[in-house]
Amino acid sequence: MRRTGSALGVVFAVFALLATAPAWAASDDLDFYQTADREEVGTEDTFRLTVVVVDAPANAQVKLPESGDFSILSSSRSSQRSISLSGGGPAVIQDVTRHVLVMQATRAGRLKIPPSQITVRGKTYRTQPVELTVRAGRVGGAPSPGQAGRGGGRQPDPFSSIQSQMQQMEEAFGDMMEPDRPTIPRGDSDLFLRASLDRDNVYVGEQVTLSLYIYSRVDLSSVDAVTMPKLEGFWTEEVESPTQLSGEQRVVDGIPYRAYLLRRRAIFPVKSGTLSITPAEADITTGFLFAGHRVHRVSNALKVKVKPLPPGGPEDMPNAHVGNWRLSMDVSQTRVELGQPVTVKVSLEGVGNVKNVTPPALKGPAALKIYDPTTTDKVSPQRHRVQGRRVMEYLVMPQRTGSFTLPALEFTYFDPRARKYEVARTDPVTITVEAGAGGASSIASGAPQASSDQANEQKNVLTAGGLRPVRYQARFEAPGVPVWKRGFFVPTVLAPLGLLLGVALIGGVRGRLALRSEAGRGRQQAKAARKRLADAEKLQSSGDVGAFYGEVEKALHGFLEARLGMPVVGLTREVLAEKLTAGGADAERRAKVLFVLEACDFGRYGGGGDPAERQKVMDAAAAAMEGWA
Amino acid sequence: MSGYYTPEEAQDIFLKANEAYANEDYAAAKEGYEKLLANGQGGPDVLYNLGTTHLAQGDLGRAVLALEQARKEGGQAPDLEANLSVARARQVDKVVGATAEDAFLPRVAAATDGPVVAWTFLGTWVAAFVLVLLWRLLGRGRRTAVGVLAVLLFAVAVPSGLLVATHAYVGATVHEAVVLAPTLVARELPQPGARSIFEVHAGLKVRLLEETGRFVRIRLPNGLEGWAEREGVAEI
Repeated sequence: MRRTGSALGVVFAVFALLATAPAWAASDDLDFYQTADREEVGTEDTFRLTVVVVDAPANAQVKLPESGDFSILSSSRSSQRSISLSGGGPAVIQDVTRHVLVMQATRAGRLKIPPSQITVRGKTYRTQPVELTVRAGRVGGAPSPGQAGRGGGRQPDPFSSIQSQMQQMEEAFGDMMEPDRPTIPRGDSDLFLRASLDRDNVYVGEQVTLSLYIYSRVDLSSVDAVTMPKLEGFWTEEVESPTQLSGEQRVVDGIPYRAYLLRRRAIFPVKSGTLSITPAEADITTGFLFAGHRVHRVSNALKVKVKPLPPGGPEDMPNAHVGNWRLSMDVSQTRVELGQPVTVKVSLEGVGNVKNVTPPALKGPAALKIYDPTTTDKVSPQRHRVQGRRVMEYLVMPQRTGSFTLPALEFTYFDPRARKYEVARTDPVTITVEAGAGGASSIASGAPQASSDQANEQKNVLTAGGLRPVRYQARFEAPGVPVWKRGFFVPTVLAPLGLLLGVALIGGVRGRLALRSEAGRGRQQAKAARKRLADAEKLQSSGDVGAFYGEVEKALHGFLEARLGMPVVGLTREVLAEKLTAGGADAERRAKVLFVLEACDFGRYGGGGDPAERQKVMDAAAAAMEGWA
Repeated sequence: MSGYYTPEEAQDIFLKANEAYANEDYAAAKEGYEKLLANGQGGPDVLYNLGTTHLAQGDLGRAVLALEQARKEGGQAPDLEANLSVARARQVDKVVGATAEDAFLPRVAAATDGPVVAWTFLGTWVAAFVLVLLWRLLGRGRRTAVGVLAVLLFAVAVPSGLLVATHAYVGATVHEAVVLAPTLVARELPQPGARSIFEVHAGLKVRLLEETGRFVRIRLPNGLEGWAEREGVAEI
């Protein structure tokens, strides 16, 4: 039900209605048109189509446009009755019914919204179709005031100035704010609870602002309890929570209301899909003192269409890395003494989910010991957008002297306004560590453990471990082949064996050949004779004198036969001397031979027992054989 | 790509690869070392640097492979052993249980240095035979010292010859490899759908026992065996 003015106005209206009822019922002058709030939209934008019927009878059937090119996200209906009294004539009553459709195009192109229809007493009226230019993606921009055609004559809009103000705000805030256009609930038109979103089609991690208002046409005393919606699938951050009710004037479908903000929250969807926001509830006390009474109100439910982040970003990028960010790294000092700490602040500043964003971790060489950071957040929402700074403060303790570089940091995020991934970077920072002037001895005395720790901090700590460096010199060579697989190995191993066998073979052959000749036989006999003489030497010391001399004589005879090539046993001394001369023996050798033979004859028959004599015979026999090839 | 680099060109490539390593441009460093290896101008030093680059880059499998190849070609070295220790410390797998007893010959081969043994054998063998020949040529009285020396040389040559034969046998029959795949499944049978027995990860040294199709039978140091895909391992 709708209140339209004061009690006096109601009385006038009733009279006027009764006076004009017949004419009204018979009137065919029907004003019926539809308008869109934009001429150009994107496929990701929503727009409003308003279908207006003026002075339609109660049983009129309105058929709203249907098209496959557009989807209707929500629809609402409102009606307004105005009574004008002028010039003493009958009161003019006008009923205006508005159907507001929130629509979205399903494809790009020049599309046409088909006409709406209304059937009154069997007669069908149609509006003009509305043509829109639809582009892919999001065009944004504020709705243009009431263009996009209309079927009948345009009605003057008494709230155009307010709409203009809203439009200016929207332009100022860009895509940051969309004006709420509440629909008045039928049962609670004087006091209702309204939940609204600044946008309902976002990316994962992109902020949506949820506002909860009380719209009231009566005086409020207090709000006793507020139950906020269940926000499953969202990470929330309080943006505004007034402690006192402060109303502002708003006009809803031509009806002025006081709007009181109860809560405003930034909500960040953490998953894609269509996420539901349950209705909020509030207990409100109206009136003053004893005249007041308490009512319970439930707001409207909401839905948010959440798109996944587009491909092209890092695989493991958290959902919170959405927004617009700047990364910086501040170092307290770049030249420091060994043992003195350095503070490094890694700051991430910008618009987005500040408390959930994760700045890149600081890494550095092993010579810089980096302790776990402490994190501080500073959130300062502006124009209902969560923004601020997250700072990770690291304590870096140099462990060695030298120059060490903290590498550049990178932070990849998705910018929903630019619809692309961006990378915020810092520059690398070089820290020079110098030896301390005082050394460990300069540390003030305190607890022994603390002193020890401090002393360690000032030492140039050279810890084993880590990778050994690459070699700076190389010997370039083909892949190694084992020695035993190389070509020379087997021949070298077999060659000595072959050589030895060859020598033995040759020796054997030569021996056999030598046995077949006279000279060879001679040499064999001479060799046997020398061997026999060696045996005789063994008998020299024994008592058997005869055997000794006999053996020496046999050895000498054998040698002479070998050298002269003829038997010598039985030859007279003269003949033997001649043969020796003929065989090439000189006089001295001949004399020794004869001396030995004479001595042997003498010895075999009893003489020559003196050892010295036997030695002399032995030496003479050896001398006679020696050197006679 | 030419098939051969002059020593100056090879040195230039090596130094540039080292410079890239120092600048943490591991991809360029790796490319330089691999270029040398592809042209047959590698060697233990280049392999060591390649393994160290892989290790710095976090490619554990190829790091262990290159470092083990460097050790096989150039023997042990302090820096090589240190980086191998780092690689082992980073390995996911911890082989638990009694170490499987190697056969006698592989243990003997592992305990002795192949090239040293081979050169010792060759030297003593040839020298011993030279002395035998000399012994034959010398007369009585002068042969003793030569004979004793020859016997001593034979006493060294024969065992070292047996060791060379051991190395040759082990080299021909024992194949060691390194797991390259981040995760390699060892199955009960050489079939893709066969039951999985265990998984090994990059950098683990295994022994290849036999090969059939695209599967090889691997054995872990503790004796655990299974069939794994051939492309997941590389022979040292």
